[in-house]
Amino acid sequence: MTEVIPALVAEDIHKSFGTLEVLKGVSLTANDGDVISMVGSSGSGKSTFLRCINFLETPDKGRIVVGGEEIRIKTDRSGRLIGAEPKQIDRLRTRLGMVFQSFNLWSHMTIVQNIMEGPVHVLNRPKDDVRNEAMALLEKVGIAEKKDAYPSELSGGQQQRVAIARALCMRPKVLLFDEPTSALDPELVGEVLKVIGELAQEGRTMIVVTHEMGFAREVSSQAIFLHEGRIEEQASPEELFGNPKSERCRQFLASSL
Amino acid sequence: MDFELMIESWPKLFAAIPVTLSLAASSISIGFIVAIGVSLLRLSKNRLLSNVAYFFVYLFRSTPLLVQIFLIYYGSGQFKDFFESIGLWVFFREAWFCAILSLTLNTGAYTSEIIRGGIQSVPFGQIEAAKAVGMSKGLLFRRITFPIAIRQALPAYGNEIILMVKSTSLASTITILDITGIAQKIISATWSPVEIFIIAGAIYLTINFLITRIVQWLEIWLSPQLFRDRKSWWKSLRENGQQAAEVQQEFR
Repeated sequence: MTEVIPALVAEDIHKSFGTLEVLKGVSLTANDGDVISMVGSSGSGKSTFLRCINFLETPDKGRIVVGGEEIRIKTDRSGRLIGAEPKQIDRLRTRLGMVFQSFNLWSHMTIVQNIMEGPVHVLNRPKDDVRNEAMALLEKVGIAEKKDAYPSELSGGQQQRVAIARALCMRPKVLLFDEPTSALDPELVGEVLKVIGELAQEGRTMIVVTHEMGFAREVSSQAIFLHEGRIEEQASPEELFGNPKSERCRQFLASSL
Repeated sequence: MDFELMIESWPKLFAAIPVTLSLAASSISIGFIVAIGVSLLRLSKNRLLSNVAYFFVYLFRSTPLLVQIFLIYYGSGQFKDFFESIGLWVFFREAWFCAILSLTLNTGAYTSEIIRGGIQSVPFGQIEAAKAVGMSKGLLFRRITFPIAIRQALPAYGNEIILMVKSTSLASTITILDITGIAQKIISATWSPVEIFIIAGAIYLTINFLITRIVQWLEIWLSPQLFRDRKSWWKSLRENGQQAAEVQQEFR
């Protein structure tokens, strides 16, 4: 029997900013096709955890394994952990698509250039192929007609859909969503959630940090409630949102309705 | 006003335009490369490198360009033996080389600060997004940081280019016959400074007019959306005005 290699393993992740310990040992395993939603009040560490996965923040302790390959880390002179090989981190990041709260599209490029940038210049794929794929993705997220517009000419919801297409065009193993709808006007949230929901149904492996409880309940296969840097509860979404075991989770859900 | 003299001297001054332009073009282009290097050193996490870059900028920004030109041109003459021993005297004995060297270092210092400002104004989120797709440091600078920085810095850099074109006139003090150099030569023979400097001034004015246009065109070419926005803003204003007029009509 062949052993199934998880798409992503994060083990015992610790992270402090100064004296503030944001993560106190958070672990997570995502198998292919898992949609894991992470909820929790602000300051619970869920965004930091997501950023530790692709080393936008370097964890103080713990290990990250992407598709069976562990990110090698070493201790620098001041005793902090850093990536041992920048090249390895760059390579593993190409397999982890990230969608940010504030979209972070590159302001000097058109929409289609934004999407093609990574595949062409990082993965060195042929330009024409990438262009076709980019257009197909824009079609999919419903803004093909904006391909030559610049990010500043788009609404927040449109920008976030472009950012999702940009992440998808890298053909990542895992998609990381960092509060993808928190910076949007309420009437624009729906269009972005719809796209993310479709991706979940396609069976993509995703980790979604979100405040949209209804959405998390609907699309995810696993839900995690973080509290003060620890996993307070981890269960199926029906369980966690419908019948939470921990008192804190119950309070949080009650207050966020 | 001696119009005849003006007509007579005009071609001589005109002929000096290439000298002024090549002084400006070489010092601006080499200075730009120097400036990228200096701004990167300045932003380096290494305190020593950053301080060295800061000292360079401080030195060249805080002394008059004329003094720099004199020091490099006459100063090198005083250390002729030393420059001969390291084989650089062939360069330093040339006024042309000294002029370009001082202009280059001067614009390098100013431009490095312009670029530094541009680099520091690049939104951090866009850099993170580039890291997140796996860009290496070099690729990230080349594809994201620098292109955004240069767009931010372009208006200020346009200013610097114009200042440099005008600064080339100081090279005339070390025997270079650029527009100003020729002008002074004619004046010393004819003693009509007003007529000649009017022409010289008009030539600088024209050159800088063209440069302003080119820089403006570059701005539009690099960030068309900013200018599209402005147009559509006017358009929407007009349309809103029309709508308001129609509404008023209806209510009448």
